[in-house]
Amino acid sequence: MMLNWTRRKILASAAAMTLALGVPAIAQDNQEIVIGGSIPLTGVFGFAGVGIEAGMQDYIKILNEEGGIDGRKVRLSYEDTGYKVDTSVAVFNKLTSQDEIHLYYGDSTGFAKTINPELDRRGTMIMAGASFASELNDPAKFPAQFLAGPDYTEMVSILLEFIAKEKPGATIMLVNSDTEFGRDPIAKTKERASALGLEVVGEIITPPTAVDVSTEVLKLRRARPDYAIFHGYILAPLPEFMNQAKQLGLETKFMGTFWSMDSSIWADVGEAANGFMGVMPYRYYYDTEAAPMLDKIREMRPQYQSTAYTQGFLTAMLLTEAAKRTLAAGQELNAKNLKASLNTIKDFDTGGLIGVPISIPGNSIPVGRIYQYDAAAKQMKPASDWISVQE
Amino acid sequence: MRIATAKQSYSSDEALLRTNTQWAWMGILALALLAAPFLLDGYWLYLACLVTINVASATGLNILTGFTGLVSLGQAAFMAVGAYTVAVLQRDVGTPFLFNLLAAGALTAIVGVLVGLPSLRVKGLYLAIATIAASFILHFVFVNWQSLTNGPSGISLEPATFFGAPLTSNFHLYWVFVPITALMVLGAANLFRTRIGRAFIAIRDRDISAEVLGIPLLRYKLLSFAISSFYAGIAGGMWAYFFRVVTPESFPFITSIFFLAAIIVGGMGTILGGIVGAVFMTLVPELLRFLVEWASPFVPNAGTLLSPVRTVVFGALIVGFLVFEPQGMAEIIQRIRRFFHLWPFRK
Repeated sequence: MMLNWTRRKILASAAAMTLALGVPAIAQDNQEIVIGGSIPLTGVFGFAGVGIEAGMQDYIKILNEEGGIDGRKVRLSYEDTGYKVDTSVAVFNKLTSQDEIHLYYGDSTGFAKTINPELDRRGTMIMAGASFASELNDPAKFPAQFLAGPDYTEMVSILLEFIAKEKPGATIMLVNSDTEFGRDPIAKTKERASALGLEVVGEIITPPTAVDVSTEVLKLRRARPDYAIFHGYILAPLPEFMNQAKQLGLETKFMGTFWSMDSSIWADVGEAANGFMGVMPYRYYYDTEAAPMLDKIREMRPQYQSTAYTQGFLTAMLLTEAAKRTLAAGQELNAKNLKASLNTIKDFDTGGLIGVPISIPGNSIPVGRIYQYDAAAKQMKPASDWISVQE
Repeated sequence: MRIATAKQSYSSDEALLRTNTQWAWMGILALALLAAPFLLDGYWLYLACLVTINVASATGLNILTGFTGLVSLGQAAFMAVGAYTVAVLQRDVGTPFLFNLLAAGALTAIVGVLVGLPSLRVKGLYLAIATIAASFILHFVFVNWQSLTNGPSGISLEPATFFGAPLTSNFHLYWVFVPITALMVLGAANLFRTRIGRAFIAIRDRDISAEVLGIPLLRYKLLSFAISSFYAGIAGGMWAYFFRVVTPESFPFITSIFFLAAIIVGGMGTILGGIVGAVFMTLVPELLRFLVEWASPFVPNAGTLLSPVRTVVFGALIVGFLVFEPQGMAEIIQRIRRFFHLWPFRK
């Protein structure tokens, strides 16, 4: 008898625990608008996730102080994903079973692609995120998603526009990491370059964690390109490339895309980083041009905030703007209405986070600016005006 | 106390479940599995499906590493072969999903045999390195065989259909994955009651003695690779239907380590070990989320501050299990069983 009783008790408590853990917290305030977030706070992309979360929280704070959306408060509900797709999907399922969610932040290209059928099936939310993959910039295939900036192909196109103006007929070497992220813009870049009269003299593919790059640098020396465009890396192996190229006396100018453009990652590289250029769709924390939103950010956070912070901040702004417009039109918050509202954004003022008024006719915001690293000031300085590649 | 379990025939001595208690527990498990999809919400159902897939794969690796003693770090690559097979069949041929899964298992088994060829010459860490090499070769193939795999951006799949109904929700997929995995686990448990399974164990314990006993090493080692890869292939196929996108980055090398860790933590060389190991490795990081959640009223910005702690705690738990229970979690369960065999007359 005793044995049975014990077993039953164990079983009952096990079942009770499962239920207790599984029962979703019932939303206390139905009026609240919740932004869900699969955010990488640990893992290889953790450095960006921390900034993204801070940026989103800050914008939501500003918005709530101004009265929220139509009197409804906004809240960010997020969990750490470790930058792993299966964990991101788990977080998505967890958050969506806890709260009614219409706006979502995703952490990777893999997650964006994996969750897309589910977003379409639910039809209740729109999503943006940390990925600028060109594949996502297709409103037909990804109707419930958008990018809070130019996609990777558009980023490289902005670089190419700049090169074509600065040095017509220049030669270019493409250096990409051997990942989906790295290989993303290669094919389109070649097309775009030849249309602009530029010559792609070669491409180098390295492992994403390459350390010894001497053979690749030799390739660079043989081709002697005017520009080398790096994509698919955060920092390494860029400094190694630049150091060795300088030692060999190459005049090549080195360029990068969004995720390798944060000035804090270059601060430790020192003199070798001087002159590194790249495309940035947002203003830097320390930009001196008039930007009321940047003033607010600097007031809230006296320390330097990364470009990931700005990305999170702007993404929260665009997500909530879509919700604001949908509610103002008296429509239900669902994927179709939210996306349609997002697409009505035309000549929108981001408070100076992006230097020009933006429009989102499709899935991306194809504007950006070339910045150049100044090692003495440890800052990125603007090297061009804002460039739009909107067709 | 365990009484009235006298065995009167060889078949009852060989049976998988030998006592009424075991039958009762198995019945409870079956009932729980049947009831689960009706009781769990989206999040837990998702985890249940993920655990099911991981159990299938871990059981496969356990056959190879736990029972045959051949260390493999190629499990993720084998799963990728299965996932790609399913994706390509679903995209280009449109065959039914059960057929696709079987095909994935079969093709992966063939790949497994090829990868296992060096196992006759190299053992232990050397074999582990050989399987790592194989997984890099496979990764290269997935990236560069553009026409078939669509290169780095991979393949998106249509959902599996069952009599015309698409299996899109976790609720539907649960009813597919759980029976398949249950069959696979049952198959593995039965395998070790046959000559083949016993031969695997003999090879693990001393390969030279096994050969003296008349076990052809080449055939049995490759057979072990084939069976293990078959499991990985089916698990990978289920994975493909679950996530519906397969890219070369879907199965990173770390996944192989994940499965090896799962069977070590769970208990190598026991069927139960593969199961509890996979459950532990998949669920514990998720359960630790609730610690963060409970702490959040007391710690400002808990999500950001405590997430790294979560990974540290998970790591510490693994180390703790290795130190205090080197035989794996399955051994804890066995010890509890033995305790109740004599209870309440134990001194």
